[in-house]
Amino acid sequence: MNEESSTLADIPGLMRIENPGKEELTAHCMELTHAVYPHHQVYGQFCTIHAHVDCPPEQAYDYLRQGHHLEEWTCSLRDFAPSGTPGLWVGYDRLEDDTRIYCKVVADPEAMTVDYHCSWDQGEKLWMIYLMRVVPAPLVLDKPGSVITWTNCRHPYYDANPHPDMAPRSDRPWVGDFWDLFYAGHTVEMNNLKAILEHRHRNGLPISMAPAQAVAR
Amino acid sequence: MVSLTDVASYLPGEPVPAEFYTDYPGAEDKLRDHPMFKVPPLRHHVAADETNADMVERAVQPLIERHGRDEIRGVDVLLVHSQLPDLPFVGAGTEVARRLGLNPEWLVDVANAGCASFVYMLKMARQILTTTEAKTALICNAQSAAGQCFTQSEVRRLAQAAIPGDGCGVGYVTTSADTPVLDVETRHIGAYAGDMTVAVDDGRKYWEPGESQLRIGFTDSSVAKVLARGNRLVPEVVTDLCRRLGVASTDIDVLITNQPNRTFLRNWREALQLPAQRHLNTFDQYGNLFGAAIPITLDHANRSQRIEDGDLVVLGGFAHAGDFAGAVAVRWHGGRG
Repeated sequence: MNEESSTLADIPGLMRIENPGKEELTAHCMELTHAVYPHHQVYGQFCTIHAHVDCPPEQAYDYLRQGHHLEEWTCSLRDFAPSGTPGLWVGYDRLEDDTRIYCKVVADPEAMTVDYHCSWDQGEKLWMIYLMRVVPAPLVLDKPGSVITWTNCRHPYYDANPHPDMAPRSDRPWVGDFWDLFYAGHTVEMNNLKAILEHRHRNGLPISMAPAQAVAR
Repeated sequence: MVSLTDVASYLPGEPVPAEFYTDYPGAEDKLRDHPMFKVPPLRHHVAADETNADMVERAVQPLIERHGRDEIRGVDVLLVHSQLPDLPFVGAGTEVARRLGLNPEWLVDVANAGCASFVYMLKMARQILTTTEAKTALICNAQSAAGQCFTQSEVRRLAQAAIPGDGCGVGYVTTSADTPVLDVETRHIGAYAGDMTVAVDDGRKYWEPGESQLRIGFTDSSVAKVLARGNRLVPEVVTDLCRRLGVASTDIDVLITNQPNRTFLRNWREALQLPAQRHLNTFDQYGNLFGAAIPITLDHANRSQRIEDGDLVVLGGFAHAGDFAGAVAVRWHGGRG
């Protein structure tokens, strides 16, 4: 502990209760608290959204874990089929014409995290990653259901397509051009997800659906 | 049509420098660099024998000079808000009437709406002038806590002590169209009542004899709550007022609010998307003037030509720990009757 403390002393800019102390820490936090925050400050480099969904967490996780459900709750991802590489699927992002989207699901049932590793146009480097987590609402909100969080980080490729040559057309807009709409677009999709899960749970219907037969294209 | 025809103000004594607090033996200095507790360079203190009624009497003098003694003496409505009250049983209103030779039909000592009470008194004056035979009103804010409560030997050391300042602002309200009150938005929020307390360490009632010194009882957590409420409430009432007027908050030419500290001033300006030069304050000269801040800053803005003819002026604020919030809009035309 002492060793740790002396190590910490060498690190500039730390604010811990031992120094500056409680009052100054509080005052500093007050100063950091504004009434409003500009959009770019909140959603400029990271875009995190969250929702409470009235559906048991295990079922919500199980639904998200199965990548083909993206065709139900996202606005524009459709027609997924195996790409030939195990675990990697390829479908269409109908946000733009003729745009392929590659997707691999990385899920952890213990933590109930579901990450979609994606990219447009190519499946070699999956850089566009959607990080989702299901948290049991009884634990965090003291109410039934799930809290679902969803984060995207602004990978440099959002701002510059590393493979413009792989686009179906030279004038096809790039996914990163939409970054400033991610809060809105993801909110729309989160609302879809919530509506589907809550409708099925409320009506005693199966939450998950069998994948449609992949159609070769 | 009811107008805020004129405003005037009075600041007691000579300016008191920050060092009065910062150089005081045992002064808390940990928080001096933080906007929430940053010490204003100057403030004024009431003299030892100076009462709220004294201050109101002095603040009204310019109105008498500009409008004539008879006209001011003829006011039908007198509304007075004073902090600290000089007497526990009765407000300063009737004493003000005696000093100034007023004989108002309506006299109310307002003990709520704190730092936003000028807005509330303007609303009440407008209502009375609109619905009765009354033609003119005098609304008064006296603040005398700084030089009394916050200069006590123990309290003076606290970071909170260096922020307040004393002063008095008054408004002359008439049934005319010279500086019309366009609309007013107020809300009383019972849920936040009583969250601001006066503290005495030995638990006695404030009037009981004892050694402990009266101070404002804000804990860290209550300060955090008040910050969150204030951040929300003031932009909310101003925005609702603007919506009713059919204007954007960015159309406000001059915004004047209460001025608890620099953090609130910054946050309200940001939330309403107004540049600093349109959100006027007198924090650096006078500190937190509580309820007197709005009329004093308005008077200063008017006398220093910071308000132009035809400007949309919005006055807004919140009280105590958030138990009241209000905003009023006037179309400024000189404010000199």
